[in-house]
Amino acid sequence: MDFPLLTSTIFLPLLGALAVLFIKPEKPVTAYTVGITAAALALLGAILIWIKGIDAGFSQLEEVSWIPSLGAAYRVGVDGINFPLVLLTTLLFFASLIFSTKIKEKARTYVALVLLLETACLGVFLALDILLFYVFFEVVLVGMYFIIAGWGHEHAKKAALTFFIYTLIGSLFLLLALLSLYIHTDPHTFDMRTFMAAPALKGLAAALTFWGFFLAFAIKTPLFPFHTWLPVAHTEAPAPGSALLAGVLLKLGAYGFIRFALQMTPNAFREYASIVMVIAVISALYGAFVALAQTDIKRMVAYTSVNHMGYLVFGLAVAAVADTEARTQALDGAVLQMVSHGVVTGALFLLVGSLQDRVKTREMSDISGLLHTAPVLSGLFIVAAFASLGLPGLAHFPAEFQIFLGGFSVYPVAVAFIIIGLLVTTGLYLRAIQKVFMGQQPEGLSSPGLSSPGLSSPGLTHYVDLKGYELWAIVPLILSILAIGLFPETLLSVIHETTKMLGL
Amino acid sequence: MSSMGQDLLLILPQIIVLLTAVAALIFEMLRRPTGSLMALAVGMLAAMGLSISRLGVEATAFSQTFRVDAFNHWSVIILCPASVLFALLARSELKGTGREGTVYSLLGFATLGSLLLAGSGDVMFIVLGLLMNSLSGFALAAYPKTDAATEGAMKYFIYGSVTSALMVFGLTYWVGTTGSTLLSALNNPGLQPLPVVFGLVALLVGIGYAASIFPFHFWTPDTFEGAPVSIAAYLSVIPKVGAIFALSQAMKELPVQLVNWPWLLAVLAVLTMTFGNVVALWQQNVVRLLAYSTIAQAGYFLLGVVAMQQSGLAVHSLIVFAVAYAVMNTGAFAVVLAHGTELKNFKGVGKQHPWTGVAMSIFLFSLVGIPPLAGFAGKFLLFGAAIDSEFTWLAVVAILNSAISLAVYLRIIMPMYYQPTMVISNTYSRLVSFVWIFCLLLTVMVGLGVQMFLF
Repeated sequence: MDFPLLTSTIFLPLLGALAVLFIKPEKPVTAYTVGITAAALALLGAILIWIKGIDAGFSQLEEVSWIPSLGAAYRVGVDGINFPLVLLTTLLFFASLIFSTKIKEKARTYVALVLLLETACLGVFLALDILLFYVFFEVVLVGMYFIIAGWGHEHAKKAALTFFIYTLIGSLFLLLALLSLYIHTDPHTFDMRTFMAAPALKGLAAALTFWGFFLAFAIKTPLFPFHTWLPVAHTEAPAPGSALLAGVLLKLGAYGFIRFALQMTPNAFREYASIVMVIAVISALYGAFVALAQTDIKRMVAYTSVNHMGYLVFGLAVAAVADTEARTQALDGAVLQMVSHGVVTGALFLLVGSLQDRVKTREMSDISGLLHTAPVLSGLFIVAAFASLGLPGLAHFPAEFQIFLGGFSVYPVAVAFIIIGLLVTTGLYLRAIQKVFMGQQPEGLSSPGLSSPGLSSPGLTHYVDLKGYELWAIVPLILSILAIGLFPETLLSVIHETTKMLGL
Repeated sequence: MSSMGQDLLLILPQIIVLLTAVAALIFEMLRRPTGSLMALAVGMLAAMGLSISRLGVEATAFSQTFRVDAFNHWSVIILCPASVLFALLARSELKGTGREGTVYSLLGFATLGSLLLAGSGDVMFIVLGLLMNSLSGFALAAYPKTDAATEGAMKYFIYGSVTSALMVFGLTYWVGTTGSTLLSALNNPGLQPLPVVFGLVALLVGIGYAASIFPFHFWTPDTFEGAPVSIAAYLSVIPKVGAIFALSQAMKELPVQLVNWPWLLAVLAVLTMTFGNVVALWQQNVVRLLAYSTIAQAGYFLLGVVAMQQSGLAVHSLIVFAVAYAVMNTGAFAVVLAHGTELKNFKGVGKQHPWTGVAMSIFLFSLVGIPPLAGFAGKFLLFGAAIDSEFTWLAVVAILNSAISLAVYLRIIMPMYYQPTMVISNTYSRLVSFVWIFCLLLTVMVGLGVQMFLF
């Protein structure tokens, strides 16, 4: 048997978490060293998986018997849809852990929780068994709950509770849908490949199962009107937590839409695609307009997630109904959109975290002229913001372009509507950039290095530009944004192999 | 071998439990409480070992009145070691009190009652088992002789007497209409529906009392609060599992054409779960909170009973959930015994005692049904059984209830981690530590190794 590369990648972070818990390092530095090493090894694992080769179908399979009586087993495998997400997950966790090193409070527990979360996320993406998928899916919830509640801002406990209960309801409906798949397949099995190869559900059972999936993943993704937990959780979570929440956790929902709703109940998806499409368009527009109305920069970024996820799900609705060519385009775009949104929003949330540390506020009206005082921070933020609004050459453009291109053949009117969202996000980011980074620097604050803290005006401390650890965390994400924007083909070729093979 | 000898051999685990309880009583008469405890531990573990070796055996004893089947084997395997755990908790709580040994003896008799319930193939065994259970329970609940304990035991006694009387009265209709006390005699669609309905309602009253099913649960919170924590833990597990298994044995036989009992039970399940979870949201006392939580869990148990005739998963789901429920609930009570019965006692526990904090969180998450813990494995199978027998709506209600229960259990988890410590570091017996560590390991292992329970 080959070296179990996938399993090692999944469980290396968990091993790191256990190491941190049992060694009980006195200093936070040691805990972070262990944590970052584990995350780096997982990233290395992801790269090795790529080098080993990703086929159109599931490859690098690893299987261990678990509950043979029920047909459940530990099964993992990789294809063109989940691999980009594995890469994204390992990258973003690595970056977030580096960024987290400033969190000194209960550092040991924090590192252990983040690593547990990484194992769970990788498990969700790589699992080929629905029971295993569900186990990892729920562990993500518990881990994130403790991170938000323990290290969040003022109203963290309430936000954590909302997040936990809201998404638990979603995942419980997922459980029902999974059970329905299981019971309606003969012989009973939990093997995802069986459900994908021959979607067995028909009629009412298929419809109910589809809506179960829809509800579960619409809450997770989130789509309007199930998004209400998101701004609260994002605003209260610590910056690296928000980056992970937006960058990776939302993808669990999007990935579920593709794997389950689209691949396991394709006929039901086709039947209800127009409803899903309308909800997606509303989400995209709603997210954009509500983001426009925000004064808190973190909430603004949070709402743009609703907007971007709207595009993504729109792509999936297109994929459910369109002909082969348009379907592949839309699906390629949707999968790439997950990665793009992960790196872009991850970078934005980390930058907002850095910004908040410096100016002690997230109200955009209270900040101005940051470009003078913290040029690197501002520059990187502007690049990420341009990526988020869909500027060509940056990460979101190739993804969204393909989604709209695919969508044009089936829902031309909807595409016209959804493009309004692009205009609005452009407007809101430009406005934010103008307010926060341009303009006069506040009085009493001179250029970095010249003024001493005693001279700065009350409420505004002397800004220091990004420090080493922040750069190490954020720069790789910015580079990924550029790489995806300039050379989308590198990832798209992997994705495309799988999407063109899906005979939905 | 004669048929009598064969029958006695088949019920050997139950005989061992009986002898164990008697031995515990004899040691108490000799004023040797430690001997009582040892006798209980040895006897119960022997009975468990015997039943493990017999898994898969399907037979009946004494002219079909007693069933040697999966429910019987698993009731021994679950409840016998559980009774030892309760005895260890009781030891740490009641050590040195006047009649310590009687507690162990009564635990033995109560367990025997539940074993008789679980294997009953005859209404007489149901009545007998229920009475043994509740009579031992009254004495145990009243043990501390405080006002609260006496009040709780009195409630338990009065409810128990009235419901048992009603049950015995109603069950005579079954006997009258079938001409037999055997449960299998009910399996005849040609019976008169009305007397069958009478008997069913009466049975539900009796079982509902023992298993704390709404609306027969009224004694539960007060009795739990008044009784010693270890006895509350016992009351939450042993009678409930026995009663649910007995109900399953009866429902296995009752034809759906005569009376639509799955619907009746489904409605009871919804009321029980919802009531338990919603009322638990307001409790300030952890024992009361857990008391309402055990009511809610009884509702989940009913999902498996509802599916009894229609789903192959039903028996497995009940057994796995019973195992899971026994370990996670016992574990939670053990932590309560260690840290105190008020919510405020849990403030900062996660910082002061990180491992009990983690353990309590795991027990409570398992009660919610979060994978990969034991409670998830059980609930997963229960939901599967319900969907399999076309009670999807019931599974949906159960799922919404799980979400409410999360809010309930987070009321304990939150203060453990996110509120400043109030109490000075408290110490507790090693026995309690043994119990929660044991339950913690099992809660994780049952969840991951659920395969072991599926034959």
